[in-house]
Amino acid sequence: MTSMTRRFTISAIAACVLGTCLAVAPAVAEPVTVTDITGRAVTLPQPATRILLAEGRQFPGLSLLHPDPVSLLSGWLGDFRRNDSETYAAYRQKFPAIDDIPVLGMGNDGSFSVEKAISIKPDVAVLGTSFAPGGRSSDVARQLEAAGIPVVFTDFFINPFDNTVPSMRILGRVIGRDKQAEDYVAFYEAHMKRVADRVAASREKRPSILVETHATPSDCCHSLGAANVGRFIAFAGGDSISAEVSKGPSAQLGLEYIIAKNPDIYVGTGGAHLKATGGLLIGPGFDAKTIQASLAAVVARPGFSELRAVREKHVHGLFHNMLSTPLNLLAVEAMARWLHPQAMTDVDPNATMAEINARFLAVPMSGIYWVDLK
Amino acid sequence: MTDIATQLAATAYQRVIRKRVVVLAALALTSLVAFALDLGSGPSSLGLFDVIGGIFDGNALSSAQRAILWEVRLPQALLAVLVGLALATAGAEMQTILGNPLASPFTLGVSSAASFGAALAIVLGIGIPGVPQNWIISANAFVFSFIAVIVLQSVVRMRGSGTDILVLCGIALFFTFNALVALTQFLASQQALQQLVFWIMGSLSRASWEKVRLLALVVVIALPFAQRAAWPMMALRLGEDRARSLGINIVMLRFMSLLRISILTATAMAFVGTIGFVGLAGPHIARLLIGEDHRFFLPASALTGAIIMSLASVASKSIIPGVLIPIGIVTALIGLPVFFSLIFSRRGLP
Repeated sequence: MTSMTRRFTISAIAACVLGTCLAVAPAVAEPVTVTDITGRAVTLPQPATRILLAEGRQFPGLSLLHPDPVSLLSGWLGDFRRNDSETYAAYRQKFPAIDDIPVLGMGNDGSFSVEKAISIKPDVAVLGTSFAPGGRSSDVARQLEAAGIPVVFTDFFINPFDNTVPSMRILGRVIGRDKQAEDYVAFYEAHMKRVADRVAASREKRPSILVETHATPSDCCHSLGAANVGRFIAFAGGDSISAEVSKGPSAQLGLEYIIAKNPDIYVGTGGAHLKATGGLLIGPGFDAKTIQASLAAVVARPGFSELRAVREKHVHGLFHNMLSTPLNLLAVEAMARWLHPQAMTDVDPNATMAEINARFLAVPMSGIYWVDLK
Repeated sequence: MTDIATQLAATAYQRVIRKRVVVLAALALTSLVAFALDLGSGPSSLGLFDVIGGIFDGNALSSAQRAILWEVRLPQALLAVLVGLALATAGAEMQTILGNPLASPFTLGVSSAASFGAALAIVLGIGIPGVPQNWIISANAFVFSFIAVIVLQSVVRMRGSGTDILVLCGIALFFTFNALVALTQFLASQQALQQLVFWIMGSLSRASWEKVRLLALVVVIALPFAQRAAWPMMALRLGEDRARSLGINIVMLRFMSLLRISILTATAMAFVGTIGFVGLAGPHIARLLIGEDHRFFLPASALTGAIIMSLASVASKSIIPGVLIPIGIVTALIGLPVFFSLIFSRRGLP
């Protein structure tokens, strides 16, 4: 190689390196402004790479947007691990580092350690609305901001019906992955629209439905009200018998009321958290036999045999934790199929899940998340 | 002269006794009415006459109505009565043996212990091995409230029969178990927390025939023993020295009484959760109505407890038809006005 050629090669490499730097540098350094779920505009000097997640249950949102969501976490609450131990185990298998993420509190907002949060110096704190002004733990946000940590509010829990889509966009903006967020939002909205269209076009009558949350044979019957998560039921084309008497998020219904209303369809929600008290076991980590047996036990309670839903075998189980994540569209599709089997022939939650697994989730969902009592 | 005085006293005594019998009969009648009201009310259209007809003739009702009657109304109404009888009797006995008007299974930590047992099951999944899963909460609640009373009993044994120590120890237990419950709440997931909070607020929605039968058995065994101890208990109200001079074994009396209290409270709490007001106010209302004579005071307390629980059950399902308001909240809210009005109406009397 002549000296000229060498000089040329070196300068070419230098130009390339410099050019790459110039091309990349502005994207890294550029500030991003995000309007959070409470309407506050927050500016970050650059997309966050170290996030403090104050509601561990929001983690699946990150997993839909980033191939290595664990790498984004600088600290979180312990609720994801506690509430959804089986999904956590699946993440641990792929990302062992998940065990090393500092845990800032146990299962709820009241246990959040602000001092520890400040000490880990995250780029941004993503908090749920219980931390927002007027929320139960609103002091936390004030203290974090006083320490110079930007705070962004998202919500998949209090009002997922309205807030899932904007919260996904907020998360995408915060980590600089707007495109992935828009992709998922488009996917989500298309699937929701299909359900809405089929419900609107359906000539079938709207069946009455009881969705019992945390279904267990030892008590009866906590149910979703008309507001918040309960809105998914109406959206999927069902008349919730609890929405008639509870305008709020949830209520404990009397068994007599349930028998008198005689719902067409029964859906129990459950998960690993009901293992201790003998409730409905469903979701990752449970085999079909266990799920069927626990669902059968739930509707074997005295008085339940009288219900039309039980007599005519319209009894279903649903994984509870899905409701407060951006994966709630799967619950909507499953419910829509139970409510309007004829109108929903092209709605298949299993296919939707397969597509989510293939296109979005860092760790695919595996297991049984919805089930019919056989 | 003396004869006349004796005769007058005897007549006066008979009059008092007659009055007490009348009050007791009135309470019994009221509790029957309250029970009937409970049986006849609910969010469906099933009325009292349908219920009575349905009990005697099963074919008079549709199958859904039969389910409402036999699986919902009857077990819940019976459980309400039994819980009222159990908790108020336990409260009455506790107030007497401790000579303290603030004593009740709730104020002396027995209920908090039951809550802690339930919390262990709901939040941490800790239970007694071999107990079926849908009994695990009840079994834990039972064991822990029993432990609380055993602690109280061992205090009696260790420190002689001093009631002050017993009351202080009870209050210490109350705070200890409350702190432990708070700790489990702190550790709990959102889902478990919801379950636990509802358990602690008390509910008749967990009623079943098995539970009715078990609590009925406990009540049927414990109440006659409590009634049999009425005389020595009355003597105890006159002071420990006086009672001792009458040949009463105070330590034994207290031990047996605490045993009854523990079994009654623990079984009731295990089935319906924490219900605080009945054990404390039931006996006070009875005392205001009928006086201290234990032969009448005990059954009056029991009946008052049953009335409060039945009426609370009616209210808990009627305030928002279809929705069950936790009965622990209702007992306090509907019991307190009655309690206050009785206290203030008695104030001016001699």
